[in-house]
Amino acid sequence: MWRIAARGHDGRWSILVDKRATAANLLLTGLLLAASLASLCLGSASIGATAALRGLFGHGDAMTVFVIRELRLTRLAAGLLSGAAFALAGCLMQTLARNRLATPGIIGIDNGATAFAVASVVGTGFGLAPPAMALAGAATATAITFGLAGGVGTRGYRFIVAGIGVGAAFGAGTQLMLARAPIDNANTAYPWTVGSLNAADPLAVELLAVGLPAALVGAGLLARALAAVRFSDAVARGLGIRVGRCRLHALALAVLLSALAVAVAGPVGLIALMGPEIARHLSSRRGVPLFGAALAGALIMVVADLVGRRVLAPIEIPAGLITSVVGAPFLLWILLRPGHRIGA
Amino acid sequence: MNHLAYDPPADTPSPLRAHGLTLAHGRVPVIRDLDLALPRGRVTAIVGPNGCGKSTLLAGLARLHAPEAGRVTLDDRDIRDFGARELARALALLPQSVTAPEGLTAAELIRFGRQPHQGWLRQWSAEDARVVKAALAAADLEALSDRPLDAMSGGQRQRAWIAMAIAQQTSLLLLDEPTTALDLGHAIEVFELVRDLAAAGKTIVMVLHDLGNACRYADYLVAMRSGEIVAAGAPSEVVTRALVHELYGVDCTLLTDPGTGAPMLTNVRRARAPKSASADT
Ligand SMILES: Nc1ncnc2c1ncn2[C@@H]1O[C@H](COP(=O)(O)OP(=O)(O)OP(=O)(O)O)[C@@H](O)[C@H]1O
Ligand SMILES: [Mg+2]
Repeated sequence: MWRIAARGHDGRWSILVDKRATAANLLLTGLLLAASLASLCLGSASIGATAALRGLFGHGDAMTVFVIRELRLTRLAAGLLSGAAFALAGCLMQTLARNRLATPGIIGIDNGATAFAVASVVGTGFGLAPPAMALAGAATATAITFGLAGGVGTRGYRFIVAGIGVGAAFGAGTQLMLARAPIDNANTAYPWTVGSLNAADPLAVELLAVGLPAALVGAGLLARALAAVRFSDAVARGLGIRVGRCRLHALALAVLLSALAVAVAGPVGLIALMGPEIARHLSSRRGVPLFGAALAGALIMVVADLVGRRVLAPIEIPAGLITSVVGAPFLLWILLRPGHRIGA
Repeated sequence: MNHLAYDPPADTPSPLRAHGLTLAHGRVPVIRDLDLALPRGRVTAIVGPNGCGKSTLLAGLARLHAPEAGRVTLDDRDIRDFGARELARALALLPQSVTAPEGLTAAELIRFGRQPHQGWLRQWSAEDARVVKAALAAADLEALSDRPLDAMSGGQRQRAWIAMAIAQQTSLLLLDEPTTALDLGHAIEVFELVRDLAAAGKTIVMVLHDLGNACRYADYLVAMRSGEIVAAGAPSEVVTRALVHELYGVDCTLLTDPGTGAPMLTNVRRARAPKSASADT
């Protein structure tokens, strides 16, 4: 189950690899590559796999190259990055709250980010770009939730209840702004409320392209501490983990990732619930499957977008609607599955 | 070695001391101005009624609970001056109630005990493997090493947690009610393991509810009531009928264990005279 992958000849350094987690990540990567290829090939004009791959590298006729590189690749990138960011944020948040329900979507962070972003889009006078607004909104929602709950608490329930309330308030604010906005602006803002890759903001995608790899490194550095934080503060501190610092860093990463993901795709928050759950199922229990969660989240987003584009083509169903249709039963299953602890 | 003949710790300076320690939950002080010196290389048992502050005291000694006043020193250094990992290599605490992430196996749990000894560049060593194996053996869990903790009995799970604390290889071990869920055989195994660890030089503190076992297996007995130490010393010296009455509000007959010379309680019954004050604080 465990293997020492590398060890210095004097035994002074050694790196441990969890076989099951590695297998899970390889499986998810394979599925993700397949889904990505399908996403490049399928569309209003279907392109064969070989032609699509050639087009990806700039070969073939100009039309194919344009469709692949300018249209579908940007959309694919937006899906991969935002899906991974949502799920990684969810995994971090669930771990630090020790509760599977404590995802940024459920505790109001996504709604906070959305409300602020919409405020800038519908022209309420805030001049910042949507990604910056989303970040401000996510941070605001987090601060309010923490203020109301007085910290994460032992099993995070207080925190979740406070977050649901904060999220509802921001959601109502978004609706109010959209109802009062001129119609053409409301159309621009619409993908933000359901969640869709249709109108992904290029600036936000670029920011996420930089932010996600950095966040993955940061999360990787926290992985050992987070694995111990899953037990309890007392046990983690007993093992020499600086729990407060670890919590703060994980929370900052989760807020940042959620905000940038919302800025790209809108509130597709249920990915934060599903991605980590899938990764936990596939991976071993010893660690927190941060990387696996990111892969699973990217996979869900790419597949949801693909399904949304194809199932009623040429009408497009927003990816956020697809994840809700799948995610709502999933949420019920998490809550109602017998013999299953909600505490992560 | 007759461990019951406990000498005052003149030759054995205390590794862990509390100086005027006051610990509170919120506004309510639970431990008040408490002084304690744990004898090095010996087994200390803390006894006292429910809610008297035993677990709070252990948390304070392990730096999990910041004091309102006073301080705790480890080898004459304030524990607040220790680094997080440095302290985790010196002192291990097994809290009274612990839960593990779903699906974690016994062996995986015990491996966590090695975390303070590991780092980014040294994730697993031959020493780690040896210690984990020894801890599994010490807790009699070799056959169950790959079983998830949720699929174990309460006692088996408790043994896995004890093994994790042992795998931390600290010179100080604080165990909060380590044998509460254990059957007679496994409880005795834990007590004997604790004696072996003490004989190997470790300093051990156990919170116990069974006064008989505390007398039998501890060198030093600390009796607490309402956040204060009411008696401390070798069990044969401090355990009296009056103390038992003061702690638990019961009458008993005290005998001397013919095998070990430890005090033994029999004929325990509710005190006829009403207790002076409620033992529950
Ligand atoms: N988290 C908490 N918040 C508030 N009060 C607490 C908390 N934990 C414990 N207390 C109170 O502090 C006192 C001491 O509790 P503690 O857990 O230390 O008792 P104990 O001696 O370990 O009892 P037991 O034998 O039941 O384990 C009790 O009166 C308890 O009600
Ligand atoms: Mg207790």
